[in-house]
Amino acid sequence: MKNIAKNLVRFCTQKPKVVYIILVVLALLFTAQIPRIKIDTDPENMLDAEHPARLFHNVVKTRFAMHDSIVVGVVDTSTENGIFTPSSLTDIYDITQSILSIEGVISADLMSISTVDNISQSESGTIRFEWMMDKPPSTLDESATIRGHLARLPLLQDTLVSQNGKAAAIYVPIKDKNQSYKIAEQIRQNISKLNGNADWYITGLPVAEDQFGVEMFIQMGISAPLAGLTIFILLFFFFRNIPLIIAPMIVAMATVMITMGALIGMGYTVHIMSSMIAIFLMPIAVVDSVHILSEFSDRHKPGAELNETIEEVVGHLFTPMLYTSITSSVGFYSLMLTPIPPVQIFGGFVGTGILLAFLITITFMPSYLSRMNNASLEKLQLVMHSQKGGSRIAKIAKFLGGFALKFKTSLVLSFAVVFAISVWGITQIEINDNPVRWFKKDHEIRVADKVLNENFAGTYDAYVVLSSSNSLLSLDDLLAKDKPTSLASWAAEQVTQLSGQPLSEQYQQLLINIDDKLFSDVSDIQASYLNTTLQNAESALSQSKAFQSPELLAYVESLQDYLKASGLVGKSNSLADVAKVVNRELRSGEQKDYVLPNSPQAVAQTLLQYQSSHRPNDLWHFVTPDYQETLIWLQMTSGDNQDMSSVIALVDEFISQQPLPQNIQLRWAGKAYLNVVWQDNMVAGMLESLIGAFVIVFIMMVLLFRSVVFGVLAMLPLTITITFIYGLIGIIGKDYDMPIAVLSALTLGLSVDFAIHFLERAREVFKQTNDIKQTFDLMFDEPATAITRNALVIAFGFTPLLFAPLVPYITVGIFLASIMAISALVTLLILPAVMTMGKRIVFK
Amino acid sequence: MLKKILNVFTLSLPLLIGAPLIGAPLIGAPLIGAPLIGAQLIAVPLIAATLIAAPFHAMSADLSSVDVASIVKNAEKAAYYSGNDGRSDARMMIVDAQDRKQMRQFTILRRDIEDNGDQQMMVFFSRPADVKDTVFRVEKHVDLTVEDDRWLYLPALDLVKRISSGDKRTSFVGSHFFYEDVSGRAISEDSFELQQETDVAYILKATPKAPDTVEFAHYVVTIDKKTKLPILINFFKADNTNYRRVEAVKIEEIQGFPTVVRSKVSDLESGAYTLMEFRNISFDLGLGDDVFSERSLRNPPREWLN
Repeated sequence: MKNIAKNLVRFCTQKPKVVYIILVVLALLFTAQIPRIKIDTDPENMLDAEHPARLFHNVVKTRFAMHDSIVVGVVDTSTENGIFTPSSLTDIYDITQSILSIEGVISADLMSISTVDNISQSESGTIRFEWMMDKPPSTLDESATIRGHLARLPLLQDTLVSQNGKAAAIYVPIKDKNQSYKIAEQIRQNISKLNGNADWYITGLPVAEDQFGVEMFIQMGISAPLAGLTIFILLFFFFRNIPLIIAPMIVAMATVMITMGALIGMGYTVHIMSSMIAIFLMPIAVVDSVHILSEFSDRHKPGAELNETIEEVVGHLFTPMLYTSITSSVGFYSLMLTPIPPVQIFGGFVGTGILLAFLITITFMPSYLSRMNNASLEKLQLVMHSQKGGSRIAKIAKFLGGFALKFKTSLVLSFAVVFAISVWGITQIEINDNPVRWFKKDHEIRVADKVLNENFAGTYDAYVVLSSSNSLLSLDDLLAKDKPTSLASWAAEQVTQLSGQPLSEQYQQLLINIDDKLFSDVSDIQASYLNTTLQNAESALSQSKAFQSPELLAYVESLQDYLKASGLVGKSNSLADVAKVVNRELRSGEQKDYVLPNSPQAVAQTLLQYQSSHRPNDLWHFVTPDYQETLIWLQMTSGDNQDMSSVIALVDEFISQQPLPQNIQLRWAGKAYLNVVWQDNMVAGMLESLIGAFVIVFIMMVLLFRSVVFGVLAMLPLTITITFIYGLIGIIGKDYDMPIAVLSALTLGLSVDFAIHFLERAREVFKQTNDIKQTFDLMFDEPATAITRNALVIAFGFTPLLFAPLVPYITVGIFLASIMAISALVTLLILPAVMTMGKRIVFK
Repeated sequence: MLKKILNVFTLSLPLLIGAPLIGAPLIGAPLIGAPLIGAQLIAVPLIAATLIAAPFHAMSADLSSVDVASIVKNAEKAAYYSGNDGRSDARMMIVDAQDRKQMRQFTILRRDIEDNGDQQMMVFFSRPADVKDTVFRVEKHVDLTVEDDRWLYLPALDLVKRISSGDKRTSFVGSHFFYEDVSGRAISEDSFELQQETDVAYILKATPKAPDTVEFAHYVVTIDKKTKLPILINFFKADNTNYRRVEAVKIEEIQGFPTVVRSKVSDLESGAYTLMEFRNISFDLGLGDDVFSERSLRNPPREWLN
């Protein structure tokens, strides 16, 4: 290994230009891919496209025409009439009209006071379907009438208008969610032309996602360069030599460009995770160079042969750098064990990027250093050696060493106590996430989300889908009964002709075909068979319409009541509600008739009336046309996964009390539900990747040091650090969310670096000195200084994330910076303490 | 089965229910269907449309003068007023944007009080089985100041209910036909202008006189010179998007009346559509008052139904 390194370094110092050219070509080649960038902000992509929950969710969306929607909210608290004034209702009417003409809006499904129907009794005994508001009212009385109508329609109250009358909502379904930002902008423009007292808000998942994409670009455009700048300043502070520190910056830039270019060039979209690749790679990529620079500036003496020093330095650092690079990449690669595609891609590319950074470092750094001119080198010497007693960093490192050795027993005891408390803290961790909270509290989207959820039953959706297994006989079996041979070929023709369609549609068409056949010249026997089959088919078809049955609707109703009583669900809407409203209006119009019709036929006839409105297709949001599947739409005021999980538990509880009717299955869909699914996956997946990474890194340590004891020592600081950080999260009550989960495995790979460098050098020094005290004295000289420098580079390198506009980036920044700082500190404190205490085992 | 005559219905079905399908105005409206035969219902246009159904002979005479008013009136008659009365069995296949199909089957009986004037209609549902014997009864009034009278009988609820019309451009039992398409939109509701005349047809543009009451900005109707029937109606929004189409797919002559026996309404934005087919059409049956009475709701006149 060392020989390969030696030859490589020799080649690079002798042919630096070749190395430069290769690097430049690669960088240009990959950077050229970057303009093809495609942003992906859909939280759904946290699940694999083929994940059963996601597939089902999309089937449900299509089947029940539940489109992605922009939600426009309007709140007027300036008068006690709220939005029910001629001026606010006129604004709502006008805005609705303007939205209807925006390209990309599914106008048929848009819900607003002015696009929905009212079902009412006009005079007694008369049912009336009419537009809720076909033109804006001109008086307060007319406005109050509209309010009264809405209050009678449970499907609209609390969804389209708030109970207190202060707020109204417009649900704008859109064809393509990638258009949502554009559509939202047009709506904003129209709103800005109004001059009423009301406040308007725009939210909805598609808008949030699009907005997220915009801010992700900002993040990448600002944070990554800022990280570069921060690192540059730090390096300058350490080395005071611009030509020298340009080298690590080139390594970092080349690594980031090639990695991002490869990601984009390979056709991967840039998701929230992958948008952080640049900022992760930047600090990690400079670390090896910092080691080389540190040692080079220490060892290079004026007049010495430059290339020899370089060879010596790189040869010396080759193995620890290789191992730290591999362990870091193992930490990231372990993310590929999670079942979450964006996390896998992130892990894969950062892992590879780290190995690439290693390669670039050991080729480019020697080439670069070998071409440095004497003036620069002399200046470097001047700076490095003029710092009497070493630089400030060196002083800190030295102090730490003294401290660690002086208080070793207390240190070890304190760490043991902290560790124990941390383990308890981990058991207190609350797992929770909510993509809307990825925005900062004062973000427009968060504000709108808050206001709308205060006023309405909730903007977070989940769907409970009940399906009945199809009870229809196959056409072949249906036709087989008592079939006269003279109709055998006719029957066979039916089966062939109708095959491929859903069974219930085959039955409908068969009815028509039998009618036609009866109309032709048929014998008595044939007619009797055809008539019997016709009746059989008709009654089977009726029976297959499971959700016309009052019993099943009553089950749906009691599930809804159960959810309502819990207070966890703002409101639920179902086919049962539709049937009850229409039944009420068909009968007295009074509350006593707000009940389910009492037979399947009565349900069917009631629903036929519901379809005689301006919006007949609204029925199909709640049931499929074959009546074999029904959807209960739950509206919740919180999108927190924890709250969604409680609702799921509640439904499970209901089912255990009132078992599902025979042949009925219950499944979940909806964005709020999907979030729970991917989060569960992530928690389980992260544990797996953490354990995986831990085991692999441990084995590597044992192999590297050829010693189990050193393997254990190497794992010690990071174990304490990670336990501490996650214990802290549990204790302070910070939700364990996506960014926090992702951090666990990868920090393991990063923080072990410090231990590797420390142990490797300690063992080497001990070999030379054979004296423990002397070993640590030397260790807290240059090696500890290098470790401290690196810890600072990485920790500060991540701090620009604190200025990011989106919360997950900030979380990542804070935690990575603290983990790096703490693990360096723990390494420098605990390792000397433990090694000294256990010297008999350690230094055999 | 049904072979009865059709005529009847042809007409207008309109209203039947209430809503005329299509709504199309005059002429236009009738969609297609109207024609004679049976189908009318469809005919979207209905009402107005009636024309369609009407015998064409009448019309042919005036056409040459391009008297728009009379073209429209004749079309209304052809679409909705064939014979003095009529019947037809209608089958409707509603196909949604996902290609899911639902069938409806019903019989329409119609009687004219006078041509291009008031009409009576009954619609008796036979399928799906769950809504069998549901009945709509309509007394259509061409006077725009008088609302049509509509009643509904729901057997499973044992309930006769009067329907207050609100407006007529609501869905006819979940299909893409409007009540107005079925009953016919009064030609007096729109202003017509001739856009084009071809060898075989007149193409008229109709603009609603009360634009607030309808969802379209205008429609363009093609009236076949030979049959006088409106055979194609395209509805446009204010931005000139053609979002809805009513067409006569098949026309047959029944008892001398050109009659639309198959028609189609398409929602051009979603791709969904409804096909309507009329069978057993006959006209001039001599349907009596009792057939169109309230009593018929609960006691359908079986002799005319199958």
